[in-house]
Amino acid sequence: MNKHNLLLQNIPDFVAHLQTYGEVHAPCQKGENSFSFEQVTDPSRVVLDYARTLQSIRKYFLPPTERLLNFSLTDNTFTKVAIENNHRIFLGVHSYDMKAVLKLDFNFSHRTPEINYLKRRENCTFIGVSYEPDDYHFSRSVGITVENTEGFDLFLDRHENGYTVQVLTERGTEITKDFTALGEALEIPEISRQFKNKIKFNYNRLPEVMEQSWNSPVWEEVAQRCVGCGTCNLVCPTCYCFNMVDNVDLKLTDGSRDRHWDGCLLSSFAAVAGGENFREKLASRQRHRIYRKFKYITDKTGDPWCVGCGRCTAYCTAGISIVEIVNRLSDEFEQTHLRKSSAPVGQKIQGVSL
Amino acid sequence: MSTQTAPKTKPQIAFFDFTSCEGCQLNKLNLENHLLEILEHVDIVEFREAMDDKADAYDIAFIEGSISTPSCVERIHDIRRRAKILVALGSCAVTGGINAMKNLQPIEDVRETVYGKDKYLFPTLPAMPVSAIVKVDYEIHGCPMSIPEFLVVFKALVMGKQPIKPDSPVCVECKLRENECLYDRGMVCLGPITLSGCDAICPSFGQFCTGCRGLVPDANKNAMLDILTDHGLSLQEAEKRLLLFNSYKQPDTFK
Ligand code: SF4
Ligand code: SF4
Ligand code: SF4
Ligand code: SF4
Repeated sequence: MNKHNLLLQNIPDFVAHLQTYGEVHAPCQKGENSFSFEQVTDPSRVVLDYARTLQSIRKYFLPPTERLLNFSLTDNTFTKVAIENNHRIFLGVHSYDMKAVLKLDFNFSHRTPEINYLKRRENCTFIGVSYEPDDYHFSRSVGITVENTEGFDLFLDRHENGYTVQVLTERGTEITKDFTALGEALEIPEISRQFKNKIKFNYNRLPEVMEQSWNSPVWEEVAQRCVGCGTCNLVCPTCYCFNMVDNVDLKLTDGSRDRHWDGCLLSSFAAVAGGENFREKLASRQRHRIYRKFKYITDKTGDPWCVGCGRCTAYCTAGISIVEIVNRLSDEFEQTHLRKSSAPVGQKIQGVSL
Repeated sequence: MSTQTAPKTKPQIAFFDFTSCEGCQLNKLNLENHLLEILEHVDIVEFREAMDDKADAYDIAFIEGSISTPSCVERIHDIRRRAKILVALGSCAVTGGINAMKNLQPIEDVRETVYGKDKYLFPTLPAMPVSAIVKVDYEIHGCPMSIPEFLVVFKALVMGKQPIKPDSPVCVECKLRENECLYDRGMVCLGPITLSGCDAICPSFGQFCTGCRGLVPDANKNAMLDILTDHGLSLQEAEKRLLLFNSYKQPDTFK
């Protein structure tokens, strides 16, 4: 693996260099205190030191709203909307967001492949960047370190004056070989960044915890504080649910089938024709969300379906924390199930001391 | 459905206004880009803001404004009897709107303040949504009512289909637009429990949501009050904000 050094002052030039290989999309300031991936026109707007973007890069592959097809009611025909997939370079992606894309790849290529998603995933280059975990990140607890390079073509690891550039793929070599401002990599001792926010148990024990938590009072307690706004779903990089709507024009002759993101915290998510709603109660919707992240898909794949980005918590206006929920369930599990099984031992010891 | 042959008789539609600023009806006149197309599908038989014909029966009656006098009650019963489908238009008709703020004070005080010594000439009632008096088939939210939503309902009804009833909050539209949440700019916003459909127009322009479209079904108002007070409002101020467009539900809402 090749390593180079990239000085801070050379970053705008580096971005401009990347633009010769395709569209560059990178975090830029959005609003007053936030960041968002945008197509770069002005390299000086790129921000590589950021905590998280409002939305992850899933928005490129599964857009918030999307037209799937146009139809005609007069002759009952339809045409699919063409999917564009220009060469795109995603610069400044955090390891958890990359991992989330790899998870979505799994979701959308198994069973019935999701053609639009897979088409948009072609021709992509990913350049990762390290970050300082804040109060919300907990990726380490779900097995993703800051420096995890899986999925990346290049990885930029921050040091005092710039970045150590790791070249990880042939594509990575291709887009760096002619950039003359790259220097020789510095000798920097490897650091492993620490996370303040942590899930108490190893993630491979969480399906077991969830198994025992179906009737936990925690769900109802969380539901008391939750407004069911769906934000926690809509900002999650591994959520992939959508709804489809048919729209007709005012002539009532033509129309389109459109889809948009949906989320399991929203009240009518599990409503079906005939008026039945399988998860009418907020508590059951909260449970469903957490089970989707730590049980249902985990049972099948062995992996948690949460990447610890912290968005659901950072952007919840009610301050509901996913780590807190999981840790409370783990505490309960420990008290009721682990203690129970160890109770005879305790009694024995007591017996001896008597 | 087949649209090759136009229906022989077009549905007859009518618009009626009750207690309101008539802004919603005016907003319909703003539909002018679409008006010709609309008139291809329906005949408008009653619309005081733009014409003065009257008819005996309506396929679809659109109602604007809240019910706030005994004569309103009579009139809305009469319209309901003559209408196959009845649609409430805009916040006043759908939720009672800001008119319902008058319900927060003793009705006699309100009457006196508005009409002074002539108050006995003007009987009044607490302001109510249309649905408090008669069955409402569909509701179009917003203050003023939203034109895109009007068109969705209109098209569905003309095609004989059930319009989809929106029930998600404004936050959803904010997320689809990747807006920075106003709470992250130190503001408070009613978007989390306010019915979407406005494309989060206010937050998108840096203005907090005042809740003009009314509450989502089963809104968790206590959780909303907690959010507002956790972000610095006093409980009193928080309740006041929630009541601006949601006073009609006041008796069983907060007490
Ligand atoms: S973001 Fe928070 S308040 Fe909104 S649905 Fe999720 S947990 Fe509930
Ligand atoms: S569940 Fe929350 S922390 Fe986990 S990936 Fe989704 S948004 Fe991020
Ligand atoms: S600005 Fe308001 S509507 Fe938008 S996400 Fe924040 S709370 Fe919700
Ligand atoms: S954001 Fe809120 S106040 Fe603004 S139009 Fe929508 S519902 Fe009304």
